[in-house]
Amino acid sequence: MEIFMNSLTKKYGKITALNNINLNIKGQGCVGLLGPNGAGKTTMLKLITNIIKPTHGGVQINGINVSENPEKGLNFVGSLIEQPEFYTYLTGNEILDFTRKIKGIGKEDFKNKIGDIINTTQISTFIDRKTGSYSRGMKQRLALAVAMIGDPEIIILDEPTFGLDPKGMKDIRTLISNLAKTKLILLSTHLIYEAREICDRTIIINNGIIEHDSNMADNKFLLKITLDSPERSIVSGKIKNYAINGNEIIVEKYNDYENYEIIEDLINQGIKVKYVEQFDNLEDVYISIIKKNKVNI
Amino acid sequence: MSKFGTVYIQYVKNYYRSRSFYLMLFLISIISIMMIYFSFKYVNNLPKFFGSSSIPIQIKEALFYFLWTLVLLYVPVFAAVFFGSPAISSEIENKTAYFIFPLPINRYKLYMGKFLAACTVSVIIMMIYLIAEVGTLSYLFHSLPTIYFYYSFILLILFILAMTSITFMISAIFNKNTYAYITVLLIYYIVFYVGSFIIELLYRIDPLYILSDAASVIERAYMNINTENFFSTPSLSPVPFADIIFSALIMIIYFIASFAIGLILFERKEVS
Repeated sequence: MEIFMNSLTKKYGKITALNNINLNIKGQGCVGLLGPNGAGKTTMLKLITNIIKPTHGGVQINGINVSENPEKGLNFVGSLIEQPEFYTYLTGNEILDFTRKIKGIGKEDFKNKIGDIINTTQISTFIDRKTGSYSRGMKQRLALAVAMIGDPEIIILDEPTFGLDPKGMKDIRTLISNLAKTKLILLSTHLIYEAREICDRTIIINNGIIEHDSNMADNKFLLKITLDSPERSIVSGKIKNYAINGNEIIVEKYNDYENYEIIEDLINQGIKVKYVEQFDNLEDVYISIIKKNKVNI
Repeated sequence: MSKFGTVYIQYVKNYYRSRSFYLMLFLISIISIMMIYFSFKYVNNLPKFFGSSSIPIQIKEALFYFLWTLVLLYVPVFAAVFFGSPAISSEIENKTAYFIFPLPINRYKLYMGKFLAACTVSVIIMMIYLIAEVGTLSYLFHSLPTIYFYYSFILLILFILAMTSITFMISAIFNKNTYAYITVLLIYYIVFYVGSFIIELLYRIDPLYILSDAASVIERAYMNINTENFFSTPSLSPVPFADIIFSALIMIIYFIASFAIGLILFERKEVS
């Protein structure tokens, strides 16, 4: 399972929505695509799914150029792009069956798997109704079910939790986490906590270019330690770097050590720790990128 | 079933459940009922209407055929406008393209499937009117449709193909249904009709290469009357066979050319 982008460029008139992207996404797991509105996230997903055509370069899915051979290339892909609508006079069931036929899945095979998809996406209560009567959230769930039909090895999701209630959001995140164990998920979101919770790799895109690409494991883990009283300095061999601001210390720890080991070191020095909060620096990276380049799309 | 067949069936389903279909069904039913009513009411009053004591049965029959087929020329235009104008633009405006474009299917199959579905529902609508027409006129004049009716029917199918093809092509240009509706109507009723009128006025020829003029052969073939002569000197000279062939060729050219352009536009269509 592989998505390969080669010099991928998309221009709308004078505006360059995506500029010479070279990216290789391979293997199972969840890859988060982060960026502000208009950064080029959806443009990238639309190019991958052949909704739009590249101005220059191309996208290959498992070695097949999508815009040249969509019938073959997109057979590996399930997708939910933007907030899709369905033919209003068809029922949810008919939409799923239509997708099945287009993906060339046999009736028996479909019967065996559709139950799970319906349960997972919780669409059973309205699946026999015409889609014209669906709410935003119902359409989103149906779109997710459509994306899962045929057990595709690559799933492209553009803000899949949009329009869902908090429980629905949680369910979908759990579902994505489970899917990512065996599939390649490309998830576009502007919610950093969502990417942090689900993704193994994050790509930050801004002004049509990739500004940051890292594995979540590589993100520096930071601790914010609040003390009873201000300190001038601390000593610990388990700490890579630190900054003190009154009775607050930001610690960048070595990945080999657990949080409690660092706290133990501080307590051994007679420092009274009030509470500890762990965070990564993804948010800082994101904000610094956005601040550096003002979005102009 | 092939992907093309799947697409065709889905769009037929979506069309026949749509409001546009029921509206067209309602319109064609009303028109058919009105035509049946007027046919029965006035069949014996025609001599009075023309101020003569009697008129030959052939002229009487030809007049009724003329009235029925006159309507026949307008219904495919409305059907094509209803079903064809929003065909492609609605995929963008209603955001269904986000569902359909990422599916593993070549776009030309989508286009052809939808096109054939729109033609099918237009033919269904037309069949209702044709059945009413043939039934009424057979009852009134005790005659079954001649070979010219079948010529006319084939020409009608060609007209539906050409008209739907033009509406699909225009729909592929726009991302808004309203623009597509307006442009189709403007092209057919202003460009074609006014163009035909000006050419006739300037060059004194019947410009059969304009679609609306070429389509008039449906009526002439059905009546088997050269209407041009009929109105100047009411004679029943048959429509020249060369006119039928030429008009059919014109409609085929319109169909193929607009279908090809529409397909190219659809292949390049983007949702941005």
